[in-house]
Amino acid sequence: MMKTVPAKVEHEGRWVSTKVGIAEDRFRIEAPVDREIPYRSVVDLEEKRNQIIVAVGGDGEAVYHIASVEKVLTVLKKFIITQASAYRLNAFFMSPAIRGGVLIQDATWEKGAIAVMKTGIWFVSQEKQVCIPLDEVAGIELTSREIQGKDLNVVKIDHLVENEVVTSFVLCPLTTLQVLYNFLKEATSGTEIKEDLDPLTGQVAMLVYSGMDSSAIENMLKLSHKDLDAIYDKLLSTGMAEVLYVRKEVQLTPKGVRYISESLKTPME
Amino acid sequence: MGRILIVDDTMFMRTLLKNILFSGGHDIVGEAADGAEAVAKYQDLKPDLVTMDIVMPKVNGIEALKAIRAADPSAKVIMCTAVGQEQMVKLAVKSGAKGYIVKPFQAPKVLEEVKNVLSA
Repeated sequence: MMKTVPAKVEHEGRWVSTKVGIAEDRFRIEAPVDREIPYRSVVDLEEKRNQIIVAVGGDGEAVYHIASVEKVLTVLKKFIITQASAYRLNAFFMSPAIRGGVLIQDATWEKGAIAVMKTGIWFVSQEKQVCIPLDEVAGIELTSREIQGKDLNVVKIDHLVENEVVTSFVLCPLTTLQVLYNFLKEATSGTEIKEDLDPLTGQVAMLVYSGMDSSAIENMLKLSHKDLDAIYDKLLSTGMAEVLYVRKEVQLTPKGVRYISESLKTPME
Repeated sequence: MGRILIVDDTMFMRTLLKNILFSGGHDIVGEAADGAEAVAKYQDLKPDLVTMDIVMPKVNGIEALKAIRAADPSAKVIMCTAVGQEQMVKLAVKSGAKGYIVKPFQAPKVLEEVKNVLSA
């Protein structure tokens, strides 16, 4: 039994209105795409605002961009996450647990499944579908957390969501947790820290993390503009920071000086 | 906007919090580097809110929180913790903390939490 709903798909470089049929084991994109896709052939799922990007592997290798209302995408995502070709495990997760350094007081452990796909980790429960893109992962740690009076092993994942640092936790049996941790370490090895920062550069990095701008950092650490630039260069060369924008410092030309002088003259009667 | 007392044993963290809170329009009425100083300054300054580090020399943040709340049950205190200090967070809840900031933190979220606690 397939339920058909309106959707838009990207076809030959433009968005076209079509219908998507959703069944228990597959979905179908109607003309002009005209393709039936078993969920188990899906190898990756990404989400961008009101669209999902579905990558299909094997013989029919292809990528589909599908836009629809949230309710439709939620159903489709759930089928894909629970049946796609991915490393999957049952687990408890808490996401987000900390946002921007503020503990979320009503955060709870949710029972669900985790699917590790090519570009991201998906958490799915009755209530929630959360995706952590692997290139947004800022840290992974196998640590312990007190849950119902017991210290239990969890994987802590720090990730960026619209420039906010969010912390999520995954809880499952230790052997599975170890597999998940190793996989995530491997998948995010590109951002592993090999460099050691001197204390001052570390402090500057901490201030940037907290949202301080250059002039606040100069004032707080009593640094000159040149000194701070040199520290920024260190952070840039290690790949720990990127240039947001370049601010200009200017001085007036004779024309500018003349303008200011003339603007302050008392008008002659 | 509130009158805030910042308590942390490291000057770097105090300065950072001071900058963040000042940028949010708050008035920093005082700073303390340990729990004993925090309790004394709270009594002197009567701030609207306190940001309190947990791990500090002499009197720690939990003990200082308890002393402040004993003297003023309406005191609003936000605790600063490091990740993994859940036991401390539980103690802080029992002792009447109104909010929690986990280091490292980001300015907009800190300001949001302070606003929430001040308006509660």
